[in-house]
Amino acid sequence: MTRWGMVIDAARCVGCQACTVACKTENQSPLDAWYAPVVEWEEGEFPDATLNYLPVLCNHCEDAPCVTACPSGALTRRDDGIVMADEDVCIGSRACMTACPYGALHFFEDRGTVAVEGAPAEAAPSVPERYAHQRHVRGAVSKCTYCAHKIDFGLENGLEVGVHPLATPACVVTCPAECRIFGDLDDPDSNVSQYLAGHGGGEVLRPDAKTLPSTQYVGLP
Amino acid sequence: MTAVSPTAGGGSGPQNVFMDQFDLEARTQRVWDINHAIWFTLMGVGGGVFLAGRILNLTEGLGYLLGIPTVDVVSFGAIAVGGAILVADLGRPLQAWRAFVNVRTSWISWGAWSDLIFLVVAGLLVLPALSLGGSEPFSGLGWDPHGGDGGGLALEIVAGVAAVVVMTYAGAVLARPRAIPYWNSPAVPLQFLLSSAAMSVAVVMLIEVIAGEPVTAGQMVLLGLLTAALLIAVVVHLLTRTAEPGKRESLERLLRGQYRGLFAGLVVVAGTALPLVLAVVGAAASGARDALAVLCFLLLVPGGFWLRLLTLRVGIFPPVHIPGVASPRTAGG
Repeated sequence: MTRWGMVIDAARCVGCQACTVACKTENQSPLDAWYAPVVEWEEGEFPDATLNYLPVLCNHCEDAPCVTACPSGALTRRDDGIVMADEDVCIGSRACMTACPYGALHFFEDRGTVAVEGAPAEAAPSVPERYAHQRHVRGAVSKCTYCAHKIDFGLENGLEVGVHPLATPACVVTCPAECRIFGDLDDPDSNVSQYLAGHGGGEVLRPDAKTLPSTQYVGLP
Repeated sequence: MTAVSPTAGGGSGPQNVFMDQFDLEARTQRVWDINHAIWFTLMGVGGGVFLAGRILNLTEGLGYLLGIPTVDVVSFGAIAVGGAILVADLGRPLQAWRAFVNVRTSWISWGAWSDLIFLVVAGLLVLPALSLGGSEPFSGLGWDPHGGDGGGLALEIVAGVAAVVVMTYAGAVLARPRAIPYWNSPAVPLQFLLSSAAMSVAVVMLIEVIAGEPVTAGQMVLLGLLTAALLIAVVVHLLTRTAEPGKRESLERLLRGQYRGLFAGLVVVAGTALPLVLAVVGAAASGARDALAVLCFLLLVPGGFWLRLLTLRVGIFPPVHIPGVASPRTAGG
């Protein structure tokens, strides 16, 4: 069984936000909704101060609280572990937003822009639009899909997921520091599994939430 | 040493809970607020008044509207208005029917079903008593609207069970996910249930006073027990898991921060402790009982609303990562 996952080596991140912008471009996310931001914080005081970066995104949890809380069934977890939001089914209760420990759900509220109303969630500049899974709907919730449209395109066209740029999430492809690795967590020979093994396993965000994330970290401050 | 100081971040706009600010802080949820507090309060009162009227045997003799007991009219009205507020608050109100879909895991779906079942079954129960223009068009239905026969009793029991779920589910919606530590506690649905029950008894006593019927010592004792239990539930919730990230910030806001006055004044003192004292006094002093009952109503209902609103407003997510605190290692895939 395949379980797509991402390893983020936080120690490599330089805070350029290229992933944030690449994601926004790829997914045409609504105004103010950032699926893949890089949070930053300062530690210490001059002259011993450091600036830390932490790329975050949907954790595609095995026990996803957003899926549990969603009353309409708009949020589902695919067999390959990717948590999807069907904006046509979403009723906009925002229960998922209060249930997610990671702030990974985004409400598309009318803020005077109609720029992306009705547009495919994935503008799909890199793969044909027919692979798009979501279409932005006002009053609905959207989220990171690990660029599922690119993964599906890659699988259909014999491209290696997590390696070929057309079959890999936009944030991973664009990262200049190569701090993101994407692949099959259930395959011990995959790039993600090998990377985790080489670092003695990964860490997760908000471990107290017990969500079993597929997004894992090494090198956390 | 770290200079990170997770503060309860504010900011405007509910587009995202916190990722619109790219820094590592505890974040206050901003997606549910006053509409939800009103909805939670009305659902609690609606379900509770139906039950309180029957437990206290006060459905009859307190006035009628179109042949339906006033107590039931208040109950149906509260739930109908609460449901309308809920639907209006949805991002896509026309899709509200989909709220019934995920009964397997979603408390909101459970709530939607319990609201519907309550309104339908309780409505059916009282339908034979409906009076329109002097006639009772549904009087031929084969059950007693007061639950005096098998059919009526069955409807009453089903409606009563649905009413309990209606009173409880809002708290369960908040308590189930672990994302917000202040909410993630059985004390939250317990507080909501006890607050709903206390408000409902007060509402029924107010209806009694308006109808010119005497409030009894037993009713005051019941109200005293409910407010005492509510006070204990509130205090226990304030005293548990106090150092946990997220809950610590919530307690800071409630007990020492911007909501200190509202919480201590309107929820704890005026909304719970004072009604408890008044109920104890009312149980002993028969002469002042009606006035005390009205006073309890005036204190408990706003107190219940503020309990819910402040619970929502101190819903704080801890930072997604606390520097220097390692999580257990995954197996590597």
